[in-house]
Amino acid sequence: MKKNTFYLIFGCIALALLVIFWYSVEIHTPLLIEIAFIIGIVLVYLAKRKVTDSIEDERDVKITEQATIRTMQIFWVVFCAFSIGAVMETLRIPAFPRQSPGMRPADILPPRMMGYIQLGLLCLMIFLYVGFRIYYAKKYGDFETDEE
Amino acid sequence: MKNKIKIFRAMHNLTQEDLARAISVNRQTILAIEKEKYIPSLDLAFKISRYFGVNIEEVFIFDEKTPTIAHE
Repeated sequence: MKKNTFYLIFGCIALALLVIFWYSVEIHTPLLIEIAFIIGIVLVYLAKRKVTDSIEDERDVKITEQATIRTMQIFWVVFCAFSIGAVMETLRIPAFPRQSPGMRPADILPPRMMGYIQLGLLCLMIFLYVGFRIYYAKKYGDFETDEE
Repeated sequence: MKNKIKIFRAMHNLTQEDLARAISVNRQTILAIEKEKYIPSLDLAFKISRYFGVNIEEVFIFDEKTPTIAHE
């Protein structure tokens, strides 16, 4: 399979997932998009394995590896720091000095908000990864001009 | 790490694409190695030098002053 055919298939799968997403919102069935997403990703991986005119060599692997490591180094600190705070908020660990049992501290982050922030952090990871990938691709000569 | 890939390519009248295809890497990888933006693995360095039919030291030059056991 040619690389361009793969991109075409990838686009079709993405479009189909978008349609399924809206449909699952319409019928209030999150399970539908969850299953469709997993099937979509499996199909993308299967299609990628069939591509013949693309070589992933050691430089590509190194760029991916470095970008992943740097992303994870930043992401796990930010994500864990937020999650620890969120868990404390959920468990309502009392402040010092102890408050009377009748009083509950005001909600700083309601559970729904925590979910949104965690989703935002996941999006941040994608942006971080893309940024690091561009940086390392540049570092390892991806944007070098040809003399031939 | 310096290298003479460009010289060897010129000697054998090869393009970056030809060399890349012969050793199963991307053309951009050959370009990056030639421009010293990327240091190849030992495996790839051997593949390149074997392809040109020479020893690895003739293609790749390690220019750092590294202490050797003979000087210790």
